[in-house]
Amino acid sequence: MNWVEIKIKTSTEAIEAISNIFYEAGVMGIVIEDPKDYLRPQDEKQWDYVEIPEGIDFEEAIVTGYLVEDSSIAERVREIKGRVKQLPEYGLSIGKGEMVLSTISDDDWANAWKKYYKPTHIGKSLVIKPSWETYRPEAGEIVIDLDPGMAFGTGTHETTRLCMELLEKYMKKGFTVIDIGCGSGILSIVAGKLGASDVLAIDKDDVAIKVARENVERNDLSQIIKVLKGDSLRNISFKADIIVANIIADVIIDLSGDIPMNLKEGGIFLASGIIKDRKLSVVEALEKYGFDLVEESEKGEWVALVSKQAPIRN
Amino acid sequence: MAKKVVSMVKLQIPAGKATPAPPVGPALGPTGINIMNFCKEFNEKTASQAGLIIPVELTVYQDRSFTFVLKTPPAAVLLKKAAGIEKGSGEPNKNKVAKVTKKDIKEIAELKMADLNANSLEAAMRMIEGTARSMGITVE
Repeated sequence: MNWVEIKIKTSTEAIEAISNIFYEAGVMGIVIEDPKDYLRPQDEKQWDYVEIPEGIDFEEAIVTGYLVEDSSIAERVREIKGRVKQLPEYGLSIGKGEMVLSTISDDDWANAWKKYYKPTHIGKSLVIKPSWETYRPEAGEIVIDLDPGMAFGTGTHETTRLCMELLEKYMKKGFTVIDIGCGSGILSIVAGKLGASDVLAIDKDDVAIKVARENVERNDLSQIIKVLKGDSLRNISFKADIIVANIIADVIIDLSGDIPMNLKEGGIFLASGIIKDRKLSVVEALEKYGFDLVEESEKGEWVALVSKQAPIRN
Repeated sequence: MAKKVVSMVKLQIPAGKATPAPPVGPALGPTGINIMNFCKEFNEKTASQAGLIIPVELTVYQDRSFTFVLKTPPAAVLLKKAAGIEKGSGEPNKNKVAKVTKKDIKEIAELKMADLNANSLEAAMRMIEGTARSMGITVE
């Protein structure tokens, strides 16, 4: 079965009217690209960092609809075109009002995304294996079996890789670990595979909690890793040798005051997800709460900071 | 976790009926996200609204994880409801099929304000009013 993709380049103002024209022509759903979405004020509670795509034209919105290619297609396309051209009569600016048609064939969309995930080597001995792939490990390799679902933490991102490498370096057998903002559970599982005796994984997102629990189970680490819903360390008495937080600069700054209470003496705080520009503010916050920087590691535009509580001076 | 947004995708799909077929597949394919997972979650969340078209906005992060939020119904759906009709006019310039009031337009504009990217309520009302007229609905 072939589909005809109809893209209409227009203005924000005409999006709703054009959507309706598509529905009346029988489409089963549409796609709306409105660059003005990038200009919307972001919810500060979200842990997001938005980058506006380069060269974007804020005045051009695109509405796309799909129709099955059949004998009536030419007529239906003409109808859509005619009705879009009429919109200015009803007081709506249609911008360019250009229509671009292309034919697309049925594709394996359901599985297309899987090509982005292949077994990935990270650090000295870690391998992230998507759950549907088979992989035969070399001697000494540690395989993490992962299905990221919707949750963050697929091992493909610099911030996750930085944490994995640093965990590999600092983890010792029998360590206890807290993973704040655990996402898919990847870092907790790495800690578990590297010999942690107890891991507490925390995330505020229900989807992440569900996905993390499935991944923990998949790696046979349910005895070691506990996954809890939460967004802070308050009311948590568990003490850790390593606390890892791969979130973003602002959240780490907010958390850093609570970290010392849950860190064992000599324990390590591994903070990641910090964009380079914000490094200094995180370092300042860490110093304020008595941390000394032990190591910093960079990949792309991201930084991870390893710090320890400074010894109490008499 | 450190979430860097790489794209925002807005779709309108029938409640409970998302499949990897168009528009979902071609729109989300290039983002590299797990399409089946999206369909499953969307269908679960919208199952109770069967028969309605639901706008949904996805935020895709740098590592191909994503989240989505459901938005207010399309303006055309709200207009048809306000006007008490099933379908808009096929020839809106000649054949007027229903009427709504300025107050209806204002209420719909207010409801959809957050999703329209309009600079002011007046601008939002102009979009809704234009949409109404383009469906053969007269505004009084």
